[in-house]
Amino acid sequence: MASAPAESAARLYGANRFVSLPAELNADTYDRSPEKRRAEVERLAIRAQLKRQYQLQLNNPNPPAVIEDPALVRWAYAKTQNVYPTFRPTPKTSVLGAVYALGPILFWIFALKADRDRKEKRIQEGKYHRPFSVF
Amino acid sequence: SEMSKDMMPGPYPRTPEERAAAAKKYNMRVEDYQPYPDDGLGYGDYPMLPNKSQYERDPWYQWDQPDMRHNWGEPMHWDFDMYIRNRVDTSPTVVPWHTMRKHFLVFLSTMLIMFGLGAFYPSYRPVGPKQYPFNDLYLERGGDPNKEPPAVIHYEI
Repeated sequence: MASAPAESAARLYGANRFVSLPAELNADTYDRSPEKRRAEVERLAIRAQLKRQYQLQLNNPNPPAVIEDPALVRWAYAKTQNVYPTFRPTPKTSVLGAVYALGPILFWIFALKADRDRKEKRIQEGKYHRPFSVF
Repeated sequence: SEMSKDMMPGPYPRTPEERAAAAKKYNMRVEDYQPYPDDGLGYGDYPMLPNKSQYERDPWYQWDQPDMRHNWGEPMHWDFDMYIRNRVDTSPTVVPWHTMRKHFLVFLSTMLIMFGLGAFYPSYRPVGPKQYPFNDLYLERGGDPNKEPPAVIHYEI
């Protein structure tokens, strides 16, 4: 397949949400345009600034007890306290809520009730031998 | 913590100024910043990062947190605790995923079908009834030792 372009090899590989595309098959690896380089330079600048802030705190002769990571604080806040304010009832969320939240409850209500009714009927007819056990 | 309210995640950004402010808050470039779609599911303005596990990050780079392969202040994926190196790994595989899935399903279905067939249509070598010695165990079964036991012959001539 040396003559085939890398794009079709990437499609043959078939990256999905369980595996990502290898770097060799990704056209982005071979892209050396000025826009991409400028983007990488800007990302590197942000990263260098953050590293500098972290290293200043780390090598401080009077270091703080815990160097808290604002990204971690934001992540925890977003997952716990920012969900309720940003939630909005839409058709999608209503359907999801009905299926995943109400569905199992209603299913088990009816399943257990049907099972108990069947057992009660068998007890009334005398066909059910009640097991005796302490536990 | 001591962080102010505007440093914390907020609602979905609607105007370009809000997007720029959110990108700055999360330490990202404005072009890189892409929030989750506004479906009302509760993501707010949290950035949607590529779904790659921490295993894919460079093992030789000097990360601030080497075991997590994460730098201080770098925006974390929404499912960060799933993508740590002890858990889900999305590294590229040697064999494509659909090939692996096909091989696995072929093997599993073959084994299940064969086991199912064997359960419903069992096939064993022919056997006869068990033959006991000493006149069908006459004395062991409580026969009278003074009487003559009935003769038991298991063959035909």
